[in-house]
Amino acid sequence: MTMFTRNDKPEANGAAVTPARDKVEVPPPPPPAPTVIEPKRPQSAPVISSVLASTSSSSTLTTGAPRVSVISKALKITGQLESTEDIQIDGEVDGDVRGQSVKVGASAKVKGAVYGDEIEVAGTVDGKIEAKKVILTSTAHMSGDVIHQDITIHSGAYIDGHCKPDFGKSETKKLVSVKPAVVQ
Amino acid sequence: MAGTAPRTLVRSPSRIAELPASHLDKALTIIGVLETDGEVHVHGSVLGRINADRLVVGSGGYVEGDVVARDVKIGGRFNGRIFAFNVTLDKTADVTGRIFHHFVTVERGARIDGRMPWRPLNFFESFDQLPETQP
Repeated sequence: MTMFTRNDKPEANGAAVTPARDKVEVPPPPPPAPTVIEPKRPQSAPVISSVLASTSSSSTLTTGAPRVSVISKALKITGQLESTEDIQIDGEVDGDVRGQSVKVGASAKVKGAVYGDEIEVAGTVDGKIEAKKVILTSTAHMSGDVIHQDITIHSGAYIDGHCKPDFGKSETKKLVSVKPAVVQ
Repeated sequence: MAGTAPRTLVRSPSRIAELPASHLDKALTIIGVLETDGEVHVHGSVLGRINADRLVVGSGGYVEGDVVARDVKIGGRFNGRIFAFNVTLDKTADVTGRIFHHFVTVERGARIDGRMPWRPLNFFESFDQLPETQP
């Protein structure tokens, strides 16, 4: 007996229904509310494929194997980016960037600190870099300190700042102590 | 954030076609303003404002804030206001807020909590400042 039929009866039969209801008393189990739609959420594949099909220009960005976020050269972001995976920046970022592996492309401009495990710079960074492994390619323009454990500087790269092999020492202690404070 | 006024929604199609789309993966969280004349795909979360030609929020994506775009396709969660000429809500969409549109498509299964005001074409053509309506 569903909610709908229970409502229908009093209208149809009038007063005769009320004693019957008292006798039964056992309330019908609450119908499984409209949460049925929820399980559909995780299946992301059809949505993504339809999205890609509708946009021919972006079909090169196959969402399958390379799990990379791409900030294209047309995009300007004012604010902070945080990812537990890789980030490829070709546009403009005005703010801090945190990622696993961060690649700053040749056309990119980053104004802010860049933190990561592995950072490759081919564009412009105005701010500090903190990473285990840092690569400055020949087109890199770096203004700010670089705190690293392992650094590669290609001929032609511009650096205005200090390079300190302090990653994993005093600086990282600061980083580690900051993170739990945010969580609390 | 309030200082950046969104540009008009009418952009030359030839310019847009050349621009590569930005792809924000599900591990990425952005707090701030996104501005582009091209396309943005959000599979992660964005808290802030998005100005784009076309915005696609994937089924795992989450966007909170105001969106100004020509085309908006939502398959994930959205909380805020949408100002878009074309709006498409997929069956996995979960939208809270207002959707200012000219054309709207809603697939069966989409959850919408809020109002969906229709606006004439010139509302989007002369779009220099966001109206101060409550979401």
